[in-house]
Amino acid sequence: MASAIPFFSCILNRDALAGMWKFTLVLILSIGAIAQAQTPQELVQDAIQKQQAGDLEGAVAEYKQFLKLHPEATAIHSNLGAALAGLGRFEEAVPEYKTALRESPALAAARLNLALVYYKMGRIADAARELARVRAEDSENEQAALLLGDCYLRMRREKDVIRVLEPEERKHPDDPAIAYMLGTAWIRDNQVEKGQVLVDRILRNGDSAEAHLMLGSAKMNVADFAGARDEFAKAVALNPNLAEVHVLYAKALVLTGDSDQSSKEFKAELAVDPFNFDSNLQLGATARQEQNYEQANRYFTRALKTRPGDPGVRYQLALIALDEGKPDEARQMLETLVRESPQFTEAHVSLSLVYYRLKRPADGKREREIVQKLTAEAQAKQPGAKAQ
Amino acid sequence: MKFNRREWLWLASSFGAAQSLGGQSASGQLQPLFVEVPPSASGIAWVHENAMSPSRYLPEALGPGCAFLDFDNDGWMDIFLVNSGPSDFWKPSSPVRNALYKNNRDGTFTEVTEKAGITGGSFGMGVAVGDYDNDGWSDIFVTAYGKSILYKNNHDGTFTDVTEKAALAAPGWTTSAVWFDYDNDGRLDLFVCSFVDYSGVRKLECGNNQIGRNYYCVPRVFKPTASLLYHNNGDGTFTEVSKGTAIAKALGKGLGVVATDINNDGRMDLFVANDTVQNFLFVNRGPGSNGRWNWEEIALQANVGFSESGRPRSGMGVDAADLNGNGWQDLFVANVDHEMFSVYENNKDETFRDAAQGHGVARATRLLSGWGLKYFDYDNDGAVDLFLANGHPDDMIDNYSMQVKYKEPLLLFHQGEDRKLHDVSESAGPAFERYFAARGLAVGDFDNDGALDVLIAVNGGAPVLLKNNAAKGNNWLGLRLEGATCNRDAIGARILWKAGGKLRQRLKNSGGSYLSSHDPREILGLGRATVVDELEIHWPAPSKSADKLTNLPVNRYIRVIEGRATF
Repeated sequence: MASAIPFFSCILNRDALAGMWKFTLVLILSIGAIAQAQTPQELVQDAIQKQQAGDLEGAVAEYKQFLKLHPEATAIHSNLGAALAGLGRFEEAVPEYKTALRESPALAAARLNLALVYYKMGRIADAARELARVRAEDSENEQAALLLGDCYLRMRREKDVIRVLEPEERKHPDDPAIAYMLGTAWIRDNQVEKGQVLVDRILRNGDSAEAHLMLGSAKMNVADFAGARDEFAKAVALNPNLAEVHVLYAKALVLTGDSDQSSKEFKAELAVDPFNFDSNLQLGATARQEQNYEQANRYFTRALKTRPGDPGVRYQLALIALDEGKPDEARQMLETLVRESPQFTEAHVSLSLVYYRLKRPADGKREREIVQKLTAEAQAKQPGAKAQ
Repeated sequence: MKFNRREWLWLASSFGAAQSLGGQSASGQLQPLFVEVPPSASGIAWVHENAMSPSRYLPEALGPGCAFLDFDNDGWMDIFLVNSGPSDFWKPSSPVRNALYKNNRDGTFTEVTEKAGITGGSFGMGVAVGDYDNDGWSDIFVTAYGKSILYKNNHDGTFTDVTEKAALAAPGWTTSAVWFDYDNDGRLDLFVCSFVDYSGVRKLECGNNQIGRNYYCVPRVFKPTASLLYHNNGDGTFTEVSKGTAIAKALGKGLGVVATDINNDGRMDLFVANDTVQNFLFVNRGPGSNGRWNWEEIALQANVGFSESGRPRSGMGVDAADLNGNGWQDLFVANVDHEMFSVYENNKDETFRDAAQGHGVARATRLLSGWGLKYFDYDNDGAVDLFLANGHPDDMIDNYSMQVKYKEPLLLFHQGEDRKLHDVSESAGPAFERYFAARGLAVGDFDNDGALDVLIAVNGGAPVLLKNNAAKGNNWLGLRLEGATCNRDAIGARILWKAGGKLRQRLKNSGGSYLSSHDPREILGLGRATVVDELEIHWPAPSKSADKLTNLPVNRYIRVIEGRATF
C-alpha cells in the first residue's frame, strides 16, 4: 500500500456509492408509483447513469431538477451530495448529506460519505464525530474504523487510536496501514516497545515509507531530532504522498534549525492535504511575521476549518488585528481567549498591550500582573529552582 | 551596452558603495569597508580563555567583553580585554589575566597589564569605563561571575582596586554595566546587570545533548535575579539604591544594558536585554515621594518586552540611537537564532514599534544569535548605521542544526537615503566572510583618522580588530566633551550640528553593545560638508549651559569644555 489516505478515499467512494445506488433504485420505484408522469423516474435513472459514467456535472443538474419536484426524496439528496463531492464541491455536498441524514438517520453510507467529505475539507473533528456514529451503529464497519483511527491520529488522540485500531490489528495483523497508525499511536503514547513491534513488522516487508515515518516519530519522542529528520527524509523520498510525512519532516527540520527547508515541506504537505492544521498554522505564523497579513489570514482560515476554535490560531488572528490597527477587535478576541484559556501567557501579554493602547491602564496593569504571576509559576517549575 | 539583471545589480551596488561609502583607494580600486588588523600587525597577542570544560558550565560560554579607552590621556585609544579566571568551578592550570594594551600611535599596541595592575582575579565577564570621580581619568569596572572589580585610575598608568572601599562588590554573576548620572547630580552612577542565580546549581545536569555530551544549560532553567543600581556618593563610595524600586522588583536575566533618554525629559532611562525572560525598560521618573528614586518598568506596554507573539526572547546585545533623525531615541535588541533581532522605533509616546522587518534586519538575523552591536555612523555620511557581532552560545550546535552554526558572520548595515538599513556585509570585506564566536564589541577610533574602528571580543579566541576604511571621502568632526558641573564624561549631553545645510542631533548615550565599552568621544559625520556651520552642546543637568560654536574646521578632534564656548 502506497498511501493510507488515497486508499481510504477509493474504498469509501466505491463501496458507499454501490450501497447508495441500490437504495436509490428502490426509492425511484416507489416515486414512480406515486408520480403522475414518468419524467421524474427517467430523470433519476439518467442522473445515476451519468454519475456512473463520470458525467458528474450532468448528474448534479438532473438530481437538482428532480429534487425541485420531489424534495422529500432523501436518498436523492445523498446521491446529489456524492456527485458534488466528486466534483470537489464539498461545501455544497455537506448540506445535501445532512438533509438526507435528517430524514433517514440510519443511512450509514451517506454518513460515511459525509465523514469523508469532512475529512477532505480538513474538518477532522467533524469527520471523527460522524465516523464514531457509523461505528456505533455498525461495529464491524472496518472502513469506518480505519478512517476513524486516522482522524484520531491527526487529532493527537492517541489513546482513542489505540482503542479503535487495536482490535482491528488483531483481525488484520498484516495490514500495513493499521500497523502504521497503531504503531505511531503507541510510540506517541510512550508505549515505544509495543510500537517497535509494529515497526519491525513493517520493516520485515522491506524498506517502506511507513516504517521510516514510525522510526522518525520514535526518535522525535526521545528528542533525537537529527535522527528523526533523517528518517522522515527517507519516508518522503519513498512516498511523498504518505499522510503527514511532509509535516513531520518539516517539524524535525525546524528543530534542527533548517527553517528554509521546513517551509518548503510545510507547503508540500499542503499540496497533499490543503487542510493540514500544523502546516497552515506554521506557514500562517511565518507570513504574519513577515507582515504578509493577507496570506497569513488564508492559512489561518484553513487551519480553523480543521480545528474550529483552536486557541493558537485565534491568537494569531488577534495579533493580525492588532498589527492592522484594529485594537478593539483584537481586544475582543483576546478577552475571549484568556477567559477560555487562563494559562495562555502570550494572550495575556498581548491583551495587556492592547489595553494600554486603548488607554485602559488599569486593565493593562491587571493583565500584566497575570503575566508576571504565570511567568513566576513557570520559572518555579524549572530545575534550577529545585536545585537551590 | 546591455546588462543582464545580475550584472546591473552588481554595477549598481558597486557604484553605490563607491559613492556613498567612500571605500575607494587613490588608485580607484574598491577597498573593503573594514580591514582586519592581524595580531602580527597590531601586537595584540592576547587570547581569551573560556575555560570550556566537559561539564559545560554556563559562565564559560558568555564572555568576554572589551573596551576602547584612553587610560593614559594621551589622546589615543587604548584597548582593554576581559578574561576569565579562577572560580568555584575552575582552577586555571596556568595564570589567566585581563589585558590592557597601550596604543603606540602607529597602529600597534603594547601590553601593559601587569604594570597597570588590572590583571583581574575572578571569572571576568564585561567592562564599563567611566570617570566616576570626575578627575579627568578613565576608571574601569569589570563585571564577573564572582567578584566584580572597580579599578581607579592613578593617573600614572596604573590602577588601584578600590572595590571594597567603594562598596561596589556586586554579588553573584554580573554581566554588562553602564555608567550614567540618573539623578543629574553631576556624578556618574552605576547600573550593573545581574544574570541568573548560579549559586548551588553548578552540578545541575541539563542532560546530554543529541551527541551524548553535556551542553550549556539554557538560562531558562536558572532562577532570575534583580539587577543593581549604585548611587555615587561623591566621596569615592557608592550606595546600592535599587532596593524598594522597580529595579529590585524586576527579576530578570540581564545581559545587555544601555542608558538613554527615551522620552526626552532630560533624565536617563535604562533598557535592559534579558535572556529567556522579558526585557525591561526602566523609565526614570525622578525623585519619589518616599525618598527613593522613582523608576517605572514599562517594557510590556512600550512593546519592547516581548516578541510580537507575546513571548520572551533571549535578549543579549542592546543599543540606542536616534536612527531616523527625528530627535527621539530608538532601541535595538539582539536575540538568539530564529527569534530575530528587533529595531524598535520610538513612537514619541513611550511606546515603540518593531521595524526590523521593514529594515531587512529581521530576515538577515533569522539564523543568527547577536551579542555585541552598535548603532554608529561608520562612513561619516551623517546617518546612523549598524554593526552586529554574532555567534551561537552552544559550541556543539553544528552537530545537530543544519543551518545554525556556532561561529557566525559579522553583519554590517548601511542606512540609505530611504532611511532604511541595508545589509552591506557582502561588500564589506573579507572579515565579513569569516565566522566568529563573537561576544563583546566596542567601537573606537584607534588611529585617530575620524573613522570609528571596531574591536570584537571572541569567546575562546583572539580579539578581532577591524580598521575602518569606509569613511574616506566624507568629512567629520570629533568631539571630546568635558563636563564641568555635569558629569565629566558629559553622558546625557545633546549635540546639535549644522553642516552642508543639514541639521542633525545626537544624544550622548552610555553603555549598549554587550559586556563592552566604546570610545567616549563623539564623531560627527559631515558627508561632503567642509565646515561645521554651527555646533551646539546642551550639557546634561545639573548644568544649565548650552554652548554654541560656529564655523568649525573639519577632520580633527576638538575638546569642548562645559561653559566655555571655545575649543
